Order: sequence, then structure tokens, then C-alpha cells
Amino acid sequence: MGRVKIAKKSTFIDMTAMSDVTVLLLTFFMLTSTFLSKEPATVITPPSVSEEKVQETNYVQVLVNPEGKIWLTMNNDTSSNWSNEKMKKALLEKVSEIYNESHKSKPVNFSVAQKDAFAKLGSFGVPLAQMGEFLDLADQPEGQTKMDKWLEGTDGNPNHVTGIPISKEGSDANPDEFQMWMKAMRQSANTNLVDKIKDGSGVAIKADQNTSFEVIHTVMDNLQSIHMNKFTLLTALKGAAE
Amino acid sequence: MAEVQQADSGGGKKGRQKKMAIRVDFTPMVDMNMLLITFFMLCTTMIKSQTLTIALPSNEKVQNEENMSQASADDAVTIILDAKRKDGSNLVDSVNHRVQPIVYYYEGKPGGEGGMFGPNGSILAENNNLQESEFLTTDAATGTARGIRSLIQKRNKDVLAEIEKLKKKYADGGFGSLETKDGREKAQEAYNEACAKVRRDENLKKPVIVIKATPEASYESLVSILDEMQINQISKYQIDNMTSVDSVMIMAKRGLLNK
Repeated sequence: MGRVKIAKKSTFIDMTAMSDVTVLLLTFFMLTSTFLSKEPATVITPPSVSEEKVQETNYVQVLVNPEGKIWLTMNNDTSSNWSNEKMKKALLEKVSEIYNESHKSKPVNFSVAQKDAFAKLGSFGVPLAQMGEFLDLADQPEGQTKMDKWLEGTDGNPNHVTGIPISKEGSDANPDEFQMWMKAMRQSANTNLVDKIKDGSGVAIKADQNTSFEVIHTVMDNLQSIHMNKFTLLTALKGAAE
Repeated sequence: MAEVQQADSGGGKKGRQKKMAIRVDFTPMVDMNMLLITFFMLCTTMIKSQTLTIALPSNEKVQNEENMSQASADDAVTIILDAKRKDGSNLVDSVNHRVQPIVYYYEGKPGGEGGMFGPNGSILAENNNLQESEFLTTDAATGTARGIRSLIQKRNKDVLAEIEKLKKKYADGGFGSLETKDGREKAQEAYNEACAKVRRDENLKKPVIVIKATPEASYESLVSILDEMQINQISKYQIDNMTSVDSVMIMAKRGLLNK
């Protein structure tokens, strides 16, 4: 009985072409990607028909969560001779200067290490009185995670306050901390950022669609009283426009 | 492709190596690339946020009352945004996890000519000219505006008619040829300029819209109403604070007042 002999065939699949394609795709994604920066609160921005795009650099983002807590992100352009880190350090110096004017009995001062830690932050937003303690976390093991948790308000320590303090009574002469930060931003050495803040495209408010008007009004009122009358609201593109 | 054929080196007799195909297995490489691609795909944002620019008036008190620009009662339309939330909290009503927006509006003075208040501070509920509307898009089938949009369009019909004419002119090439990309850009620019001129035209009858909102109103409805201003080519609008009369009118409308 003759057995049918099955020819032994190699099962080797040539992966070279596949590899080529994946590398190409990878290159594409690497070059086009801009990373989502980690934010302390997730918000869904409301839809709008406006088609203006948000700028890539030189704007200050004011993140407002539905409870009215505020975090700031400063986006400098790094093309000129100011680096993001240098500007952040200067910002912290400036804001502590403004703060100490009105809090003479309890001034805040930051060490070099603390300023360095601040320069590396993305979003920030703790009361200035706790800022020192917050920045000290950076040197601890797993400091980054601790800082993130503090910002999200999930670190379980009731003494740790997240969000920049804001009040309805903040005025130009007697600013609350949110206004102090905004004033410090406006005095930044980065003239491009300052110009953008002045023409309104440099301040972007990002808030959740369900946020109550009371909260938004407090933020807008605070900006108005320090003469930042123009600003932008971040929105998502509306699906079926018109 | 992944094979490298070793060339026969010389016609050696001794120490001649066997011809061997060197195959490199690319499978792990592909695996790794796929992982990286997945990572980048999940971490990137392709859609950029849009922005809406708003300019608010200065917060400083106007010293001289005469300098204040007053809208005539004829032109004024006041829109009040409100929302349904869970009682006594800022939480979202449980419908679709979205706040249910409510839009009220009144034309002219609050309470009409008679006003909302009687001689000794009594509330004249019968004068309440507050009306309820809602945010609705234009009906796709018939092309008619609905909800608050129909009101705004009705009040702004002169401007909208002019804009419509300009749109037609643009489509017919009245602002320059639309054939080339360059020409289109130029025509678009001229068209936008003409539109801005129409919006500012003092001879056309335009409404002045005052936007107010209750503390419960959602941010979404604020953005929606600002959108309506843009869609309906409103040039004069402002965001203002609620007055006590407005609150009284809303409460009367909801039937919360016992006269």
C-alpha cells in the first residue's frame, strides 16, 4: 500500500513586509501625536458651532470642574530663549511676591528645590500656603503619584486642599489667589504670552458642560475685575452644525 | 525577503561551508511595533478643541449715568437661561446625565408697559410677559427655525435678509471668481467683510439681546446661546446679571408665588 506522502512544507511566514508597514504607521503616529496632558479633573466641554481652533502654545488654561475647583496650566512657546521651566520658576516667584504683599504675617517662600519641582509640573492648583508641602512631595519616592492624587483630591488627607482658592469678592485691589496667579501670568517675561492674554486668545476656560452658571460666573467675574475682559471658552465641535 | 543567501565564496574544496539560508524571524519585531502603535493611538488626541471668544465689558462702575448706552425697549430682548437640576443641589438631573436646560425670554421691559410691580410693591402677575422656549435646531425637513432661534431670527430678519443676499452674491461669484483656491480665499474675505458691515449697519433694525442666567443654568446652555448669536448674526448682545424683577418673573411663571 502506497502511502500518500505529504510534502513537508515550511510554515515560515515572511514578516518583513508586515514589519515595514507597522514601522511606517508607528512613525506616523509618533510624528503626529500630541500627548494628552494629565489633568486633575476630567471634563466634557460643551459643543459649539465655533470653528476657531485652540492655539498650541502661549495660552493659559483655566480648568474648572463642576464643583468650582480651579487648576491652571501655562503653555509657553519654547521657540525663543525662554523655556517652559524657566518661565514657570519666574511665575512662582512672581506669585509669591504678590501673595506676600497681602499676607505679611504669613509669607510664603520657596527653596530652589521646590521651584525646580514646580517647573516640572503640568497642571497646578493648590493653595499657596500648602504649595511648599505639595512641592516637597516631588523628592519623595513615588512623589509624582502622590502629587497627582493630591491634585485629584483622592489622597485621603483631609488637610490637603486641591484647587486654587477663588472667591466672589476678589477685586483688583484685593485679589484672591486665582487672580494673583492670573496677574503673575500677565507679568510674565514671555511677551508673546502676554500679548495673547491681552487680546483674549491667551486665556482659555475649560469647563464641564453641566457646570452651573454660578461657578462660571465667579470665574468670569474674577477675570473681569482684574481687567481681563476678553477670553475664550474651550468647546468641542458640534456634530451636525446649524 | 528575510533570507540572506550566502554567496559561494570561491571554488574552495576544503572547508567549504554548506550553503545556508539565514532567515531572520520578524514576528517579535512586528509584535513590538503593534504594541507601540496601539500605545500611540490611544495616547494621542487627533481632534483639537475649538474655542469661542467672548469679550465682556469692564467691571468698573460707570460714574456718569449719561454715558451708559441704553437699549430702547423696542429693541431689547432679554433671554434668561435656567435649568432643571436635582432639588437643592448642583447635581445633574438624572435624564441622560445632562442638565435639562430651560430658556425664558421677554421682549422689551420686564412686565411690559405696566411693569411688574404695583404702587405699593405688590406683584402684578398678570403683567408677566416672560415666555418659555427651548433650544432647538432648524428643522431639517422644512428649513424653518424652531424654539428660541425662531424668535431671534424674527427679530433680526432685516439683517438676515441682507446676509442672505450677500450669500447669493458670493455663490454667483459676485465677490470674485471661485474657480481658483486663491480666488476663493479672496472672495471669502470680501464676503466676510461685507457681512460684518451689514451686522453693524445702523439703518437696519436689529435687536439688542441681553443674556442672563440663573445660578443653576448650565455652562452648556451659555455656550448654546452664544452660538445662537453667531448663527443668527446678532451684533449686539451682552451677558448681564439677573435683577430682582427677573427672579420675580421666573417665580411667577413657575407658579411659586402666592400673590
